[in-house]
Amino acid sequence: MLFQWGMGRQKKQINDGVKQEGPDHSGEAADVPQEPMSAELAVNLDIIRQTTGQSSDVVIRRFSLGQERQIKAAIVFVDGLVDEKHVYEFLLTPLLEASFPLSLTEKEWFPWIEQKLAAVGGVKHVVDWEHLFLELFSGETIILLDGVPSAVSASTKGGQYRAIEEPQTQLAVRGPREGLTESLRANTAMIRRRIKNPNLWMETMQIGTVTQTDVAIMYIKGIANDEVIEEVRARLRRIDTDSVLESGYIEQLIEDQTFTTFPTIYHTERPDVVAANLLEGRIAILIQGTPFILIVPALFIQFFQAVEDYYARFDIATALRFLRVLIFFLSLVAPSIYIAAVTFHQEMIPTQLVIAIAAQREAVPFPAFVEALIMEVTFEILREAGIRLPRAVGQAVSIVGALVIGQAAVEAGFVSSAMVIVVSITAIASFATPSFAIAIPARLIRFGLMFLAAMFGFYGIMMGLLVMILHLCSLRSFGVPYMSPLAPFTPSNMGDTLFRIPTWMYRERPRLINQKNIIRQSGDQKPQPPAPTRREKEDGS
Amino acid sequence: MKRSIAMFVSFFVCALLLAGCWSKKELPDLAFVIAVGLDKTEDGRYLASFQVVNPGNVAGATQRGGGAAGVPVSMYTSTGDTLVEASRKASKKLSRILYYGHTNLVVISEEVAREGLNDVFDAVERNHQFRPTAQLVIAHGHSAKEVLSVLTPIDKISANQIIKTLEFSEMSRGQTINTDVWGAIRGLTSSGRNTVVTGVVIEGNPQQGKRQTNVQSSVPDARISLDGLALFKKDRLVRWVNGSTERGVLWVLDRIKQTNITIPWNGKKEAIGYRTVRVKTEVKPQWKKGRPSILVHIQTEGDISEAYVPIRLDDYRQLFQLEKAIGRDIEREVKQAIETAQHEKTDVFGFGEAVHRAHPRLWKRIKKEWDDRYFPHLQVTVKVDAYIRRTGLRNTPYIK
Repeated sequence: MLFQWGMGRQKKQINDGVKQEGPDHSGEAADVPQEPMSAELAVNLDIIRQTTGQSSDVVIRRFSLGQERQIKAAIVFVDGLVDEKHVYEFLLTPLLEASFPLSLTEKEWFPWIEQKLAAVGGVKHVVDWEHLFLELFSGETIILLDGVPSAVSASTKGGQYRAIEEPQTQLAVRGPREGLTESLRANTAMIRRRIKNPNLWMETMQIGTVTQTDVAIMYIKGIANDEVIEEVRARLRRIDTDSVLESGYIEQLIEDQTFTTFPTIYHTERPDVVAANLLEGRIAILIQGTPFILIVPALFIQFFQAVEDYYARFDIATALRFLRVLIFFLSLVAPSIYIAAVTFHQEMIPTQLVIAIAAQREAVPFPAFVEALIMEVTFEILREAGIRLPRAVGQAVSIVGALVIGQAAVEAGFVSSAMVIVVSITAIASFATPSFAIAIPARLIRFGLMFLAAMFGFYGIMMGLLVMILHLCSLRSFGVPYMSPLAPFTPSNMGDTLFRIPTWMYRERPRLINQKNIIRQSGDQKPQPPAPTRREKEDGS
Repeated sequence: MKRSIAMFVSFFVCALLLAGCWSKKELPDLAFVIAVGLDKTEDGRYLASFQVVNPGNVAGATQRGGGAAGVPVSMYTSTGDTLVEASRKASKKLSRILYYGHTNLVVISEEVAREGLNDVFDAVERNHQFRPTAQLVIAHGHSAKEVLSVLTPIDKISANQIIKTLEFSEMSRGQTINTDVWGAIRGLTSSGRNTVVTGVVIEGNPQQGKRQTNVQSSVPDARISLDGLALFKKDRLVRWVNGSTERGVLWVLDRIKQTNITIPWNGKKEAIGYRTVRVKTEVKPQWKKGRPSILVHIQTEGDISEAYVPIRLDDYRQLFQLEKAIGRDIEREVKQAIETAQHEKTDVFGFGEAVHRAHPRLWKRIKKEWDDRYFPHLQVTVKVDAYIRRTGLRNTPYIK
């Protein structure tokens, strides 16, 4: 079976510890020339033109160097990826103005250029074609000289990016307003700005044989667990795919368990959340081209922790945590409890209510399960329609939606109004979780529980929930039990689960994620009123 | 491996599909029996009445408002040698399944109660749907069927009307008692306690009470009202008590929450009203010279609720006298109740249980003869401590 096959494969990979040889991707991968670079400029430029298929955005600008302008040179860059002003002002101008000593040997000219281009960020010596193209398409400018069989790449990354805006998901009333963007550099900068520490380390690699997407692992050396870092590294290295267009690609290729509806990797759009997680010893995976950063290891309880919990005072934060767990539970079981109660356990509903529900259901021709299914599916349709809808027709759908799930449906005799209320509560609850990722399992499992409720009543719901909890306890995220610190129970970490203890009590980082450096802050920081002065003491006594 | 998984899945699916839904009951297929009435027919069989809710006609439940279209409840009756037989027979007349999960009231006619309840409760207790917390009342003067047929104006379902009246009347008046089926069964089986059950009567014309017009009038033709306490001896009703005797029973049972006592003062009858706020009754059994005796100690705290004689309520000596007078009044009620019960040889106060708890060994000896020999001659001392805590918003009354 598929599942078994997946397990076996995973095990084998861990045992071997080496990357498995996948099918040959060389046909799809960049078709770079294998021969060494030529000493002749014209040949090199020809190769570039041919390799890129004479794409119009690859700009080749030829010029001459030297006192007599006798050295032919060229710069190559991709239009749109570079900051053009930067190229002309800090790269081309110094080169044109410089007098190139003809006596320079092959070894000497690179330091000379490097020195001339001091105004440019980074200058690299490129000797083979593969690197040259990688640099070129990363937004660097390539400088080629006639008579030199190598090239120089100068950092001129630029071009248009979405500006830093408020995050679209994970909003907070109190907290930073900036959200992550599609630019990897902008994102790392936002995180660096929050953690000014040389121990914030970053490793970059390219993933995707065709896309060559920049992927960076970020962690705080000394806080993050080395074994987990190594595991992340290994899993990323194992990826052998042609493209990475969003963090979801990576997530699905490195997660511990595919056959679960629960997310074992956390993703966020907020730099402050990333920083907070790094400080707890987690590892961030940044991907060029998406504003979502992956965070591993992820725990179940993490999905109930909103960023504002830490910014608001502990009392309201704790109350809201409880509310969120209730919300999750509601969105999971509300329709199934309704089904079970009205089809099996009528004695459990208060007399007045059961009569009221019975009166509504008099006119409804379907069993409660079918009724619930109709409404839930209708709601899912509306929701799906609403997400991808062009803005202009949004209003039309909301009007029609209000008719479908509402009074009209009740009056038409399709459903009872109690059912409408149940579905509405479920719908609202499924939007009220702080992380959208955790609303998805609830959304899927809900239907299974409804089915069980229709067959076995509360017994079925309990069985379903039991299976769900057992499954949750069996999950792991990068070696960390998914349900920790609840199971395994870690009393010292319970302060940040359902409860959010006052900030000065947070002595420890999560233990299972971070075994070495668990002390976060000194104890005994309880804020206190100033000690009474001598005079006050005398007055008091 | 593949094979075993396939087997497992198919067994699982079969188990689901074969076992699924076997006890499923959709709401529109259920007839909610809200109250059960029990009478005797002339040929000595049981006549069971089932008050079934008509959900569409209960106000608040309807989607189109009102509920004036029809009556909120329907009555179904059937006869049988036992309650279960009658219940099964009733299904001939009903398009739905009789559902007892919400039966909150059992009305038993006086006739059945006098003949004994032993043959009634087992079915009620054994049935998994039936709640032993259902309230029990005895129809006094009319049949249970007639009581359940009366339509009531405010709480549309008359069973609810009776239940709520019982509840609030015990809370605010202190002359009725909630007895549920559990309590009644306990009374039937215990040798040291007998049951008391509140009576229910129809005021007005029961024939008119059945009609919708009954609830369309501000003065209904028939009303259901609670009246009297039925004292049981074992499973048989032996005596009705009313008024102050009734309250006397409740004083001893510690079931009084709030009640109003009016005492004479300075020769004027009904002069001062006293409203209890907190009542605590302790029954202390004693064993003297080979005979049990009982001390009933009642402590009551309360306020002055009315005063129609000149009295200085800001004078603590007056208040002390008043407290004594109130105490005497309560004592009189209690003694009256105890005498009545002793006369009927039925220990409705649970004195026997108190003796049992205090002297378990001795109790075993006297248990058999308790009701007939010991209880009727039991020496009961009543001690009442009444306290006045507040005198209301005024001190001295306006009457000078």
